[in-house]
Amino acid sequence: MRRITSPFPSRPGTGLTRARALRLAAAAAVLPLAVAACGESGGTTDADGAWEPNRPIEITAPAATGGGWDTLARTSARLLESEGLVDQSVQVVNKPGAGGAIGWAYVAGREADPHTLFVTSPPIILVPMAGDSEYDHEDFTPIARLATDYMVYLVPADSEMETFDDLVETVDAGGANIGGGSGPGSMDHVALAGAVNAAGGDAAGISYVPFDGGGEAMTALLGGHVDAAVAGASEAAGMLEAGELRALAISSPEPVAAYPDVPTLLDQDVDFTFDIWRGVMAPAGLEEAQVAYYEDLFAELMETEAWQRESASLGWTDAYQNSDDFGAFLDERRSEFTEILTEVGLQ
Amino acid sequence: MLDQLVQGFAVAVTPQNLLFVLIGVLAGTVIGILPGLGPMSAIALMIPIAYGMDPTSAIIMLAGVYYGAIFGGSTSSILLNAPGVAGTVATSFDGYPMARQGKAGKALAIAALSSFTGGTIGVVGLMMIAPSLASFAVSFGPTEYFALMVLGLTAVVSLAGRDLVKGLVSAVVGVMVALVGIDSQTAITRFTFDLPELFEGVEFLIVALGVFALAEVLVMLNRRGRGGARGGVTSLRLSGRELARITPPTLRSGVLGFFTGVLPGAGATVASFLSYSTEKRIAKDGATFGRGNPKGVAAPESANNAAAVGSFVPLMTLGVPGSGTTAILLGALLVLGVQPGPLMLTDNPDMFWGLVASMYIGSAVLLVLNLPLIPVFAKVLKTPKAVLIPLVVVFCVVGVYGLSFSVFDLGLLTAFGVVGFLMRQNDFPAAPMILGLILGGLMEKSMRQALQISGGDWSVFVTEPISAALVALAVLSMVPSLVRAVRERVAGRSAAGVAAASAGRGAEEDSDRAESLRS
Amino acid sequence: MTPRESGSEGAAPLRPLGGSGAPGAPVRSEGSGNRRTFGFSNRTVAVALAVFALGYLVLAFQVPEYTAVNVPVQPGTLPRWLGAVLLVLAVLLFFQRTPDATDDEAAPEDEAADGGTAPRDGSDGDGPGAEDGGPAATGKGAASAPGCATGTGALGRLRDPRLEVALFVAALIVYVALFEPLGFILSTALYLGSTTVYLGYRRHVATAAVAVGVPLVLYLAMSEGLGVVLPSGPLPF
Repeated sequence: MRRITSPFPSRPGTGLTRARALRLAAAAAVLPLAVAACGESGGTTDADGAWEPNRPIEITAPAATGGGWDTLARTSARLLESEGLVDQSVQVVNKPGAGGAIGWAYVAGREADPHTLFVTSPPIILVPMAGDSEYDHEDFTPIARLATDYMVYLVPADSEMETFDDLVETVDAGGANIGGGSGPGSMDHVALAGAVNAAGGDAAGISYVPFDGGGEAMTALLGGHVDAAVAGASEAAGMLEAGELRALAISSPEPVAAYPDVPTLLDQDVDFTFDIWRGVMAPAGLEEAQVAYYEDLFAELMETEAWQRESASLGWTDAYQNSDDFGAFLDERRSEFTEILTEVGLQ
Repeated sequence: MLDQLVQGFAVAVTPQNLLFVLIGVLAGTVIGILPGLGPMSAIALMIPIAYGMDPTSAIIMLAGVYYGAIFGGSTSSILLNAPGVAGTVATSFDGYPMARQGKAGKALAIAALSSFTGGTIGVVGLMMIAPSLASFAVSFGPTEYFALMVLGLTAVVSLAGRDLVKGLVSAVVGVMVALVGIDSQTAITRFTFDLPELFEGVEFLIVALGVFALAEVLVMLNRRGRGGARGGVTSLRLSGRELARITPPTLRSGVLGFFTGVLPGAGATVASFLSYSTEKRIAKDGATFGRGNPKGVAAPESANNAAAVGSFVPLMTLGVPGSGTTAILLGALLVLGVQPGPLMLTDNPDMFWGLVASMYIGSAVLLVLNLPLIPVFAKVLKTPKAVLIPLVVVFCVVGVYGLSFSVFDLGLLTAFGVVGFLMRQNDFPAAPMILGLILGGLMEKSMRQALQISGGDWSVFVTEPISAALVALAVLSMVPSLVRAVRERVAGRSAAGVAAASAGRGAEEDSDRAESLRS
Repeated sequence: MTPRESGSEGAAPLRPLGGSGAPGAPVRSEGSGNRRTFGFSNRTVAVALAVFALGYLVLAFQVPEYTAVNVPVQPGTLPRWLGAVLLVLAVLLFFQRTPDATDDEAAPEDEAADGGTAPRDGSDGDGPGAEDGGPAATGKGAASAPGCATGTGALGRLRDPRLEVALFVAALIVYVALFEPLGFILSTALYLGSTTVYLGYRRHVATAAVAVGVPLVLYLAMSEGLGVVLPSGPLPF
């Protein structure tokens, strides 16, 4: 049943459901109308090679309304329009399901369409690794990394554990249940196992308890049902501020201004960092001029005051990378995650 | 506490905030009435409107959408058997039969009154014990949730109706549906047939709309249009006796619903089912639940509104969302620059108490708005069936598509419609299936979390005090139904001839009669 | 919408074909005496359930063990139990007597058609044999319908309600299949219009207004009001 080794039919296209095939057929039927007006690739490339969109831009959120991806997609779409950065309208399309795989398949079916973008974060690496998606990040064109958040390793305020090493010791002694907001082999677990591993602990021996989201994991921690928890820093901000929970470490490379008292893992001689990065990607086969246009567009977006204000309140730290750097970053992360999951025995 | 509440009312009754309460509850009611289009997407999509608004006004408006939707969701449950919101599925169990008996007006009035009562109980609860509720909310861990789900699932025995075996079959199939998808505990896919559309499981509302609304449409067709809700609508006025009858269940369910809502792992849907089955079990006329008993409308409606209010406790005081909808509200708060958490009550008392006060006003507004509208809503039933049937189908389709944007899910909706129709034609009750679907997945998840924590030791479920109490309650609650079922079967077998005599026992014992006729 | 219609609605002649009704004769062939359509004996249902349970068990035993991390309950554990329980329930059902769909329920059911009390038509099943007596009682009226297919208020046109249900489901499947290719507005207008006319509503102007108006209003409300993008199909908006 499980498709860890043989995910989907490997040839793109054969895995399409009938519904999606119909949708493609419909797109094909409509295409002549649209193409007649705007030329083969859509958009116009002028004499000096610059490109501009000439149809509404569609940002796909591969999740339902309301989640992290949806928030990013809708925030970007709204600000791109309201700050007057694009002439075309920007629409958000939700394609939820299968941890993102449905949305990715949808975007992959629009190869070389420069008017389709989608928002992305670590699951685009982790979900394909678990064999749950036919497409991985190499099937798309990276546009830009925008922002990042970090993981915090939490204990109740009155816990005896003071440092990350204390946690690792407790884990090795078999005395700690650690809650996280997602399943084994996904983001929270990888961030935990990677850190424990880097600290010299037994990553495979962690008693990891998966909850539905960091909030549930923190509630269980507050109620004393688990001994520690791993959660996104922005999720934990309220609890940390109130002093109900204490963070043993944060997974950032530098201390984060919002949590001055929380030491990084690196500070504690644990050589591990973990980014909950968020970025934008496009279908495969975009021309250079098109990629360049979007790189600049998002770079401009991030400089607006409105973006600064809203991303700060969502707990995001700016972490812009252009297309090339972002692509290299994704490759690095994948080899790192592969190592961690192998260590834990999940690969 | 009181001066804070006074302060809260001062915040809530500014003309601006009153306007936003009004907008919120109106939008919520309309969204709730449309099947499938739940408060979750509505709130997510209204967040852009909330930008630039004062955060307190924004949260007052968004909260209004939430409880307004739960309030309005009962309308389509009662009139069309098409639950608009997950929390109102239980309302259709008795609401729709009432509508078919020509009591749509009464059912809607009961729903409105008990919603208001439940909401009020919730608000009073918030006022009195909000600060200490946070510790109640966190006292429930996986062990306790497992016990709570077991207690909920034992309701199958009482929901099964005439035929226990068929009821259990329904429930088991419901749990089976709940297990489809990627297992949250191990990330292994189960029963997905490699279809990525099934990886995240089967959305609850798709099943509910299928086995209730679509199946009902098919049954109507099969009967050539007879048997739907009656065209005429009796008055919506309730007699004093009727009011007296529904008052105790309404009050009890409000309290039960509130506390269930406070638990971040439960929420309005679980609350409505728990209270419905509790009332069915303790009512003297429990056998008529499912056939148009007004108490069966009052209980879930009171509970789901109280729970909606209660769910603001973990949201505001812990920063922990208890449901998909409150998760989106949390996102909205963050975007507005408010960080919910334990400091909310001290840092932002105006917002918290303003919200509480606005919910009180909002509940009253909903009542005042909806009571006069009931005759208008009930006119839906006068629509010729040839027009109504396709419209119901379209609303279901739009609702499901708006939820997932997936044609695959529309196919699922159709399939569950056919399954629900076959169940109806063969006397398989749908309610246990829905119960199994809602609670089964939660039960398995919390069981496995609890055992992971205990290191595989099953005894935790009876050694932890809260869990032990709930498990004991679950066992006890099954006894009367089981005894009755066995006794009836024995009696029926030994004296089938008594059927004629038992027929005289009155309409309220129809099920008994059918039972004896059968065996 | 049009209250005037409702008077004739419930009580309307319900079987357009066959004039004087020929009550249920073509339909009532299967089952024990007065079985309802799509109603099967407990034995048949039990066998079907058992087959389903066995298939489910096969799948349940194919759910892989999770070995990467030590977990107390395997993902396959509960499904296996569920499959086994369903199998046991199927056996119990097999030996349970099928209730005869006796006429005692059919009679009140027919009155219910006219808005009477349908006490046991709740979620726990409907009165068996509902279709049996009905057509007979109302068959006379059907004869007055001109032609043979469009009796006012009658639902459907086929002799056998089973085919009627099948046809309706088929129409729904077509609607769903066309939902994205044709877009929401066109597919919905087509579905609403054709189904309403087929089911026997004869005020075609009203039908057209509903078929065009409802999809348009819904589309605008969803896309403009809530920002939910419904498929637009070949239409330019």
